[in-house]
Amino acid sequence: MISAYYFGAISLILIGLYAILTKRNLLKILVGLSIMETGVNLLLISVGYVSGRTAPILTEGATPQTTVDPIPQALVLTAIVIGVATTALALTVAINLYEKYKTLDIEKIRGLRG
Amino acid sequence: MMQYASLLIALPLFSAFLVPLIKRAGKKVILYYLSLVTLIQTGIAAWVFKEVYTSGKPIIVIAGGFKPPVGINLYIGHFAALFILIIAVVSFFMAVFSIKAINVDPIDKYAMLFLLLMLGATGMIATGDIFNLFVFMEITAISAYALTGYNKTGEASEAAMKYIVLGGIGSSFFLVGIALLYGSLGTLNLAQIAMLASKINPTVAQAALALLVFGLAVEAELFPLNAWAPDAYQASPHPVTVMFSAFVVKAGIYAMIRIVYLFKDTQAFMGILNLLLILGTLTVIIGELSALRQTNVKRMLAYSSIAQVGLIAVGFGVATPQAVDAAVFHMLNHAIVKTLMFLAVGYVAVTFGSPHMENFKGLGKRMPLTAFAITVGAISIVGIPLFNIFWSKFKLLLAALQVGKTGIVALILGASLVEAVYYFRLLHLMWFEDGKGEKIEEDLALGIIMLLLVALIVVIGVYPDFVWGIVQKASADLYNVAQYVKNVPLLQGVSP
Amino acid sequence: MVKRVLAIILILITGYWLANALAQVPFGADKMLVGKYYLENVKEQTGAVNAVTAVVVNYRGLDTLGEVTVLFIAATGVAALLWRKKRERTAKSEGSVVLQTGSKLLLPFIMLFGAYIFIHGHLTPGGGFPGGATIATAFLMLYLAFREYEIPHNVFEPLEGLAGMGYVAVGLIGLIIGGYFLFDWIWQTWQLGHANIGRLFSAGFIPIIYTLIGLKVGTELTGIVDNMVKEPKEGGQ
Repeated sequence: MISAYYFGAISLILIGLYAILTKRNLLKILVGLSIMETGVNLLLISVGYVSGRTAPILTEGATPQTTVDPIPQALVLTAIVIGVATTALALTVAINLYEKYKTLDIEKIRGLRG
Repeated sequence: MMQYASLLIALPLFSAFLVPLIKRAGKKVILYYLSLVTLIQTGIAAWVFKEVYTSGKPIIVIAGGFKPPVGINLYIGHFAALFILIIAVVSFFMAVFSIKAINVDPIDKYAMLFLLLMLGATGMIATGDIFNLFVFMEITAISAYALTGYNKTGEASEAAMKYIVLGGIGSSFFLVGIALLYGSLGTLNLAQIAMLASKINPTVAQAALALLVFGLAVEAELFPLNAWAPDAYQASPHPVTVMFSAFVVKAGIYAMIRIVYLFKDTQAFMGILNLLLILGTLTVIIGELSALRQTNVKRMLAYSSIAQVGLIAVGFGVATPQAVDAAVFHMLNHAIVKTLMFLAVGYVAVTFGSPHMENFKGLGKRMPLTAFAITVGAISIVGIPLFNIFWSKFKLLLAALQVGKTGIVALILGASLVEAVYYFRLLHLMWFEDGKGEKIEEDLALGIIMLLLVALIVVIGVYPDFVWGIVQKASADLYNVAQYVKNVPLLQGVSP
Repeated sequence: MVKRVLAIILILITGYWLANALAQVPFGADKMLVGKYYLENVKEQTGAVNAVTAVVVNYRGLDTLGEVTVLFIAATGVAALLWRKKRERTAKSEGSVVLQTGSKLLLPFIMLFGAYIFIHGHLTPGGGFPGGATIATAFLMLYLAFREYEIPHNVFEPLEGLAGMGYVAVGLIGLIIGGYFLFDWIWQTWQLGHANIGRLFSAGFIPIIYTLIGLKVGTELTGIVDNMVKEPKEGGQ
């Protein structure tokens, strides 16, 4: 049996994937992408968690024996920024697409074929 | 002194951040500045290449002075030195090409993205840390998204959107793979992962590797995740297309192979090799067949490029030392030939407005030098003897025969046959059909670049031994994982 | 309909497979290897009490340089893709009096708070990225409140570039002084602030780098907002 935290993270990833695969509206697809990224970040954080320990800031009596792993938190910081960057660019491209095709329905945006 | 190899990363970054300050000087100045920076980068890369190949030892750049696995290290071995040099040289050529080819505003942003694309690919090949690899992959990918959509036409935006969605899925998979590896080993350093690989639970290792392979398959253009590639190649500015084909794909496939080969001694390895073989084979078949029915030459070349990458993946999937040698050789040859082809086709498209088949009618009379370059490239790709790709395809064939995989032999021969059909159709169009229009004065700088590349193709084709020696060293760097682990000065005391 | 069923099947298979692998990675167990080394040596080697900050800026500094670059690419890419000859804001009405007064009144405080977050990155949760994002919200509020407002572009763009160059320059100084790119020369070579661990003037170059990152992130996010609220003017294509 896997833990509830892993389960939640995987569920978010799969929900995001489902949205990307089935939705027709471009913005919904991008929302799906963001949900997926959130799930991944949660998964990374929960991999680094150690039961019963506190945040890795070594003041006020916290010692290396009472804190969780700092690396996944640093990784997630990076991953979040990268997610923001991707989302910003994706929205920009969506703006350009809307300007050209006057729709965000991916079934109707079909310039490239073959 | 060796630590100064970190300038390979620092220089493009610093120059990209400098662009907002010098952009008032004008458009042309920025493009000349771009050429200058890439030229300096080429100089540094050449120095690194010389150091690595004369000393025979890799350069380990330690960031922040913390020894790995505590800090991040760059590993510039024989393979990385060779491909960083290729990246720098191709970037320099494309910076020169950009002066002629880029007319869409804003040029200053183009220059920054161009430099950062080069930086990302360099970092992907040089890094020795799996999460750092992810960061550099995202630098490459995000600057590639922006450059794909740079022309701001409907097609360009659509291609960029496809690329972003697939790239987003890929990077999520990659991160989940990292989470699995980190969760079971507690380290992110590639050398230490290789050292501890046998300690991972086989189920976890297999899942993590499959996720990492799928994540990198977007950049490496392997079958289920390469839907973006033909669109992006077609719609992006011409110099950027060259960069995609010449080194962005190569960086992706290198990263994939490096990670997969770390697990060479584990049970999971065989399963992943089969996955690579299947993905590679499908990529070749679908790429070649799609190339047959294209009327846009740039798109046709894009499919051909995808198919070649499939062949490289198949070579790595066979995973004998000979096959790895051949695959690395093919990577090198393909980078040279596709730089030439996309450059020439891009030049034609800049001159006549589009790379449609129509514009290639009678090209032999109108732009003889460019037509000659395309001809040499096409003949080489098909695999005619005395041209460079013949040797890499031939070695790949031999390697496949050695392990008795006749299916791969058939695949290579079949692919060459299909390539012959569509490339000779193009050649026929260029030399034996009459087009309208006058003879055109060809650009001197581009002519020199094309002639240089043609010379390189023929020299490697006639006398392959010298380059083959370099390639063998580079591929040993990939294949010999034990040596790789030994080369990285891991900090004592940080081990389970 | 067929597409949905296929998607659901694919997702269930992926989910099962992921769960199967993750079951072998025990949740909540102490799996640290390199992490333990960081926790034990962080104070002495970097002077920061916030281990995450030390990992981000010192131990894995190259990642952070890359991360800054990624955001820079995004800001550049957004500007490149939305570039038109003429663009203008198309908001129909001004913000209400409350919004206008409030945004003016809060502006200095929000900026101060952002600066506090990134300057204290080595002591408290936070750092350059949250601090920069906080600063960007101050400008976002000005955009919401005033129809005509625009950031001073000729200040913001050079500042963005200068902050990035500053980061690389700090790294290169480390290369010259200490022999390694991104080497913490202030803490390890000059040994400044060793008596101050846990107070503001410690942790070597972390506050400097976080200030640079904060400025850079603030200007970049503001630039993205600025690009996205403007629309092409008629005939300006």
